Amino acid sequence: MSLVALSEMLGAPVRDASGVVRGRVREIAVAPQEHPTRIAYFVVRTADGERTLSPDAIKSAGATVRTTTEPTAWERYTPSDGVLLLKRDLLDQQIIDVHGRKVVRVNDVEMESTPVNNHLLLNVVAVDVGARGAIRRLSKGIVPSFTLRALLDRIPPRVIPWEYVDLLETDPARRVKLKIAYEGLSKLHPADIADIVEDLAPAEREAVFETIDEEVAAETLEELDPDVQKAVVESLDKDRAADIVEEMDPDAAADLLGELPEEKSVEILKEMQPEERHEVTHLLEFSEHTAAGRMTTEFIAVPETAVVDDAIEALRRFEGSREAVATIYLVGPAGKLVGSVPLVKIAISSPAAQLSDLSDPYVACAPDTPESEVAALFDKYNLITLAVIDEHGRLAGIITADDVIAMLRAR
Amino acid sequence: MKLLRKEWRTRIALFLAVVGPGFITANVDNDAGGIFTYSQAGAQFGYSLLWTLIPITIALVVIQEMASRMGAVTGKGLSDLIREEFGFRLTFVVMVTLVVTNFGNVVAEFAGIASSLELFGLSRFVVVPAAAAVVWLLVVRGTYASIEKIFLAASGFYVCYIVAGLLAHPDWKAAAIATVTRPKSIGIRDYSYVSMVIAVVGTTIAPWMQFYLQASIVEKGVTVRQYRTSRWDVILGCVFTDVVAWFIIVACAATIYASGGPMTLTKATDAAPFALALRPLAGEYAYLLFAAGLFNASLFAASILPISTAYAVCEGLGFESGLDKRFDEAPVFYWLYTLLIVLGAGVLLLPHVPLVYVSVLSQVANGVVLPFVLIFMLLLTNDRELMGDHVNGRGFNIVAWTTVVIMVGLTLAMFVWR
Repeated sequence: MSLVALSEMLGAPVRDASGVVRGRVREIAVAPQEHPTRIAYFVVRTADGERTLSPDAIKSAGATVRTTTEPTAWERYTPSDGVLLLKRDLLDQQIIDVHGRKVVRVNDVEMESTPVNNHLLLNVVAVDVGARGAIRRLSKGIVPSFTLRALLDRIPPRVIPWEYVDLLETDPARRVKLKIAYEGLSKLHPADIADIVEDLAPAEREAVFETIDEEVAAETLEELDPDVQKAVVESLDKDRAADIVEEMDPDAAADLLGELPEEKSVEILKEMQPEERHEVTHLLEFSEHTAAGRMTTEFIAVPETAVVDDAIEALRRFEGSREAVATIYLVGPAGKLVGSVPLVKIAISSPAAQLSDLSDPYVACAPDTPESEVAALFDKYNLITLAVIDEHGRLAGIITADDVIAMLRAR
Repeated sequence: MKLLRKEWRTRIALFLAVVGPGFITANVDNDAGGIFTYSQAGAQFGYSLLWTLIPITIALVVIQEMASRMGAVTGKGLSDLIREEFGFRLTFVVMVTLVVTNFGNVVAEFAGIASSLELFGLSRFVVVPAAAAVVWLLVVRGTYASIEKIFLAASGFYVCYIVAGLLAHPDWKAAAIATVTRPKSIGIRDYSYVSMVIAVVGTTIAPWMQFYLQASIVEKGVTVRQYRTSRWDVILGCVFTDVVAWFIIVACAATIYASGGPMTLTKATDAAPFALALRPLAGEYAYLLFAAGLFNASLFAASILPISTAYAVCEGLGFESGLDKRFDEAPVFYWLYTLLIVLGAGVLLLPHVPLVYVSVLSQVANGVVLPFVLIFMLLLTNDRELMGDHVNGRGFNIVAWTTVVIMVGLTLAMFVWR
């Protein structure tokens, strides 16, 4: 078992059993639908056109490739969308390093070659993104290969194992064929995904947002820089955009749609589920720089007569963001706000305790309160959430501390 | 009528959203070296080189348009695309020579800063380190949007050359005729005249501009849909730049050339002596404007060159880059940026400034890298897989290839000749 680099094999002479050169390696292909890492074939340029050479007929591979068969036995090469061509699709291209959480450029591809019954098994194991691959490619053909190997052995490798590599492919049909699903990427924290996405070109961003799970896409979108956010949503088709926007916090969704050109935001709203659409359009009516523009309409409110157990039940059923559950609000008849209970008090009280006994005097503001005053209220009362009430004293929405921090940072 | 006005307002708003990259890049073209060359051209040959400016403007527009179109369509920088399409080894060669030629340019910009402020009696041992610090901080501390505003203001400041030109009271009629016709009086066989033509053309299209322009288009987030408007940014920038160049040539032609030639100026290595020569001929204001313009142009270009080099090299070779990263996250990027400034400024503080060697080295590297860059740009803008429907049209390709062949020929001729 040994490691062999893609750049070593590209251009390598292919010799038959008697040692005669029958062609040169032009490409190396993986067929992800058959096997995720195994080399399916070499594309060899021969005197009689391009042909594919399967590793089943290869005895050894490196700076020279030795085969056991004749070129007449090799199939003619026909380009196909369904295979990953290591030189064209990987070498010098950008990939996502899921483990290191960044976008990197590939200097070389490392394969593991295992001899099995007189032929080879070749598997892609890692991509080289460091100096070793760079120097190998610079000095190939200039420095003798044994000197080069000795030199390269001294350079510490910087490789990314293949399982942490997510490829960037902008053609949706080809993504399916190559089984690129951004599974690794989707498992990262949305804030990290957002950092990665900001480093990509627009078409690649679109590819990521078309592919990843709607919920993850929504959370990632919220973390993006507003300009990038806008560009991404504009690039998506309206169905997909609506699916993602539905999953966003209503306040973030409203901010985003408010930034888009009107025809685009109307188009997206039309595609949304009635309930989410209603919430978002309601928020859209307010100026972005007021309490109402910043608030979310997803919060937990229980009747003032409720006990701790009821609050916990409400928590279980709540689907909004985690930031919003820090406070449970108590409402009287007609939704009038009467009190607020911090989550901590609920955690330490007995299930039968009356919430009205645990309630703090609540702090609230009007929908048209300017955002600077909202921040001042958070500061003065050390709030985690702030209630927004309408002219009848009814609870209209809440503002969470993370929104206030974002708002202050944006200044 | 009302509708028409509204439409105009929308158009202006659309234009303002994309203005910047093209205008700024074209203007930085009139840097310390550019102003020096134009001053020389006017002082030595009067109006007789003005005819080159119209073809130069066309060449500039054609090439800049390709860079900005590539940026808008692909959303990637030029060095990214060169790496992805032409492989590691060629990219490496281009990047190394780019660093060398840009280093020479950085030195020239700091030389411009030093000599322009020396006219005002300030010591270079104070102003060069101070300028280096200002440049470093401006770029590291600023955001793209804030820096762009500063740069646009610096571009506007070039108006002072137009005013200096007006103060020189040129012969408008002669200058206008010389702009549209090639004067017969000086022959194509005159060696010094031809080498001046080459210098004027050569100073116009530099490799770094293409990297910078494409990167700023990407950074600004200009998309394909905005591209039509963005094209006007490029055209307007190139025209303004060459109008400024025209006035620099005219100012020197109407005064220094008209009063008997540049006897004391043949040994000049930058534009400051020309400002000084204007003083008795065109008056105190023209002198001040010329000197201040040189300072502005040099500082402006010194702010752009190092950072643009650092970005291009790191993107092409795959090092972490970006001002949003910390020093330890992107060490190569920050070191390259810092060293270009520190060494570029440091050269000027040496007891015997080896300016001649630096500039020869820079020109040789420029001659090596420019053909690569321009030909790569043409190949890339003709790649349908990359550009889709936005590949070069046939007519455009004829103009572009002709431009590139002439540019490459002249650039090679320049460093063979010198």
